[in-house]
Amino acid sequence: MSSQANWNSVTGIATLLFDGNLVAIAIAILFTFGVPIALHILFFQTVASPPSSNFLLLGPSGAGKTAFTTLLEAKSSLASNKSHSTHTSQQSTLVTVTLPPTVPTGSNRYRSVNDPSLKEATRNPIKYRIKDTPGHGKLRASQGISELQTMTQSKDIKTRLRGVVFMVDTAALVDEATLRDTATYLHDVLLFLQKRAKNGSSSKRTTEVPVLVAANKQDLFTALPPGAVKEKLEAEIDRIRKSKTKGLLDASADTELEDEEEILGNDEQEAFSFKLLEHEVGVKVDVVGGAVKGDLQEEFGSGVRRWEEWVGMCL
Amino acid sequence: MLEAFEILTTSGVVLWSKAYAPVGAHVINSLINDVFIEEKVVPQNETAGGVSPAYKKEKYTLKWKRVKEFDLIFVAVYQSLLHLGWIDKLLENISTIFIDLYKDQVKGNRVRIQTYRFDQYFEQQVRELEDNTGGFVEEHVPETGEKKDPLVSSDNGGPPPPPVPGLVKAQPRAALAGATSDEGTPPATPEISRSSTPQGHLLTAKAGPGGRGSRRSRKAANSSANASSGDEVRKGKSAKTPVKKMRRWDASGMADEDDGEILDYSAPAEGEAAAPAVEAVSEGDWGRRTGKGQFVLKELGEEVQSILDQADAEKSKGTTSSGVVGSGFNAIGGFFRNIVGGKVLTESDLEKPLKAMEDHLLKKNVAREAAVRLCEGVKREMIGKKTGNFQSTDAALHVAMESSLRKILTPTSSLDLLREINAVVAPTTKQQAPRPYVMSIVGVNGVGKSTNLSKICYFLLQNKYRVLIAACDTFRSGAVEQLRVHADRLKELSVRENAGDVEIYQKGYGKDAANVAKDAVDYAAANKFDVVLIDTAGRRHNDQRLMSSLEKFAKFANPDKIFMVGEALVGTDSVMQARNFNQAFGTGRNLDGFIISKCDTVGDMVGTLVSMVHATGIPIVFLGVGQHYGDLRGLSVPWAVSLLMK
Repeated sequence: MSSQANWNSVTGIATLLFDGNLVAIAIAILFTFGVPIALHILFFQTVASPPSSNFLLLGPSGAGKTAFTTLLEAKSSLASNKSHSTHTSQQSTLVTVTLPPTVPTGSNRYRSVNDPSLKEATRNPIKYRIKDTPGHGKLRASQGISELQTMTQSKDIKTRLRGVVFMVDTAALVDEATLRDTATYLHDVLLFLQKRAKNGSSSKRTTEVPVLVAANKQDLFTALPPGAVKEKLEAEIDRIRKSKTKGLLDASADTELEDEEEILGNDEQEAFSFKLLEHEVGVKVDVVGGAVKGDLQEEFGSGVRRWEEWVGMCL
Repeated sequence: MLEAFEILTTSGVVLWSKAYAPVGAHVINSLINDVFIEEKVVPQNETAGGVSPAYKKEKYTLKWKRVKEFDLIFVAVYQSLLHLGWIDKLLENISTIFIDLYKDQVKGNRVRIQTYRFDQYFEQQVRELEDNTGGFVEEHVPETGEKKDPLVSSDNGGPPPPPVPGLVKAQPRAALAGATSDEGTPPATPEISRSSTPQGHLLTAKAGPGGRGSRRSRKAANSSANASSGDEVRKGKSAKTPVKKMRRWDASGMADEDDGEILDYSAPAEGEAAAPAVEAVSEGDWGRRTGKGQFVLKELGEEVQSILDQADAEKSKGTTSSGVVGSGFNAIGGFFRNIVGGKVLTESDLEKPLKAMEDHLLKKNVAREAAVRLCEGVKREMIGKKTGNFQSTDAALHVAMESSLRKILTPTSSLDLLREINAVVAPTTKQQAPRPYVMSIVGVNGVGKSTNLSKICYFLLQNKYRVLIAACDTFRSGAVEQLRVHADRLKELSVRENAGDVEIYQKGYGKDAANVAKDAVDYAAANKFDVVLIDTAGRRHNDQRLMSSLEKFAKFANPDKIFMVGEALVGTDSVMQARNFNQAFGTGRNLDGFIISKCDTVGDMVGTLVSMVHATGIPIVFLGVGQHYGDLRGLSVPWAVSLLMK
């Protein structure tokens, strides 16, 4: 049988295909099984579970951001019950972690008690992504604030920001310099969110990004309680706000068009507080204590439970 | 002796570490801060001759190796007193071995939760390099004991072997299998079974007659390949150390105890899946027979050596691979890649654009030294990187240079002068007594020290501070009078604008400047001034006689801030000026900031900013941009970067 000659005519090819040729059979089998699988891979996997809830982890260096991230990561994987030790970060990382099934989510409000998806939470835990940023002074502008900028402004639902976790080392906050540094960073973050809220309200409705001030290292003896942390930060931000209004202009101010210098919280007369900010701008700030290291109870990683609850309420 | 060895990622997670003595985490943190982020310490000849750069902190010396492709940093810490010549080699070898073993894991997204069983390799390397004779033959026994169990488990089809680091070939697959099974079936993980099974029980069971009997019967049934297994187990047991007491024992122990039963319930799908990975390893691959018919495992050293040799071979192949066809193809490919992107950059690719970049920076009045260093830094960062989609080499370089400039100019901590003055003048805590805030200004002759001092004074007056100007230029004729004119004008202005209050403190000419400054501070404290501004005589930075008096000055006046004024006009000399002034105040006292004057005269050639910051790592606080009292500005980093890159 000379199959080579038949390639010229259509009937020849058709004959070849219906011939019961081994090659033809193999191709047919490949097609029948391959196409559905390919389609499944192409469509299902991209659409099915987009972990669209992003959280940004900010805060000064040494507050415990990377430790928190690794802890969450270790908790989400069933295998390892030990998080790695950490050092100063130089790069930001994005990790996908799961919410423990016992933590309620904010969207539960809209669900019926009998909603089967509630029961399924144990089997199919909710995933979210958290972005750990370096807190070093030199890298804040390029990786912290700019990350905040891109994540809040992106149209894509996959990269949209659901909340900001601002990590604070409560044990070191007694020190004046650390407090100033922390408060300055927080001030910058809040100022950015305020600007965004103002600009967004005119053109289109944007959802406000809530901020969690995670008062870390509550396990240490010298740590301030969350209430005191809140007071200290508010007082310090108030001072920063005042000195900002009186400070010098930037060198760029001459060349660019006059950009109205904004003050955090709008109202200059009143002392700054997070409540005022929520009232005036709509940016919600919560201060919640916790500890990454040194678990409060026996259970592994229970020190961050309340932060996870906050994350859950944002989902 | 080596104190510690760590393998960490650039995102700050320690993947694997080994500490022989407790070394505080701050030691490595300061390495990251000083070297990688702030770039205070310039790594010299990082790539030259395989010598790793060193960094000293406290009593330790740190040597590191950075692997850009995987974003890994290998750090070795040892006492500075010791001169360990083999550290370089160790870093080199360990990084090669680690990457070879965990290539896939490190690239995957489970990098950070993975546990890396790397201890054995590391110890082997240290031992080998330490005595450099290959004297690990004696310690051979515990290793064989440890590596034995895959043999046992594979021949009776028992539980899947745990990821044993001993087996190079089988290990990556086995480790992966372990990882996946961890996820799927939590209660059945080897980790948990390890922790729940008591060690002692297994050991006694093994020693008992039942265990031996069963083994003997199996021995008879099986090939003689396992003839010596029992002996080796015992040998290994006698030489066991806490490190060696891993779950491997319990795997083999279980198998020994009662074959039949175990076989039944540990043969589910999982075990089957993993078993072929082990069986596929041929005998010759991991062991050889001695004359007595004993099966002796291949030494770890040999395997490690093979990895290293392979890496060496690849390296040499990479350098020598050429040929007309090959190079021609590469050239065409490179050309397309340059347009389409996705090209891995090499040194030769970067040479030309970097030269152009350097020239561009020089044109912007950046000192040659700083420009070269910047380009070196960018080059180090870029080599081995892949360009993005549709990104040319030039564009990639441009982005890298921009971020590098931004990183240099951004201060480490915020520079809110008013906030700091307030903290000192009106402290919030009771422990501190209020005192005047002291600032002093130094610089070369004629850069505008007095002018900038009066500008700062005007700025402070507008914020309603009481300012005392101390005329400590007791050398140049007319200096005091000049300052008096400024003070008079400012006084008039402040009265008109209802601002603060200013006064001048002067003791005429010829006195010691340090004493005058000290008196001025005392006077200010007594008369409730908020801020003291000290003007000093201009001095040439390379005149040792003039510069030496600054140390005494810093000690006497003890200023909160010492600012150096540098003019934007100065070129290459700016680096030496900044450096010399920075070192003039004795140990433990440095400059706190730069004021760059005459920025309005240079247009976009603001390279001096970069040169000065690059030389010292000290931030720029103010820019002088005009002739009026109000022409003082803070530094805006985006503004400066855009001018420089234009």
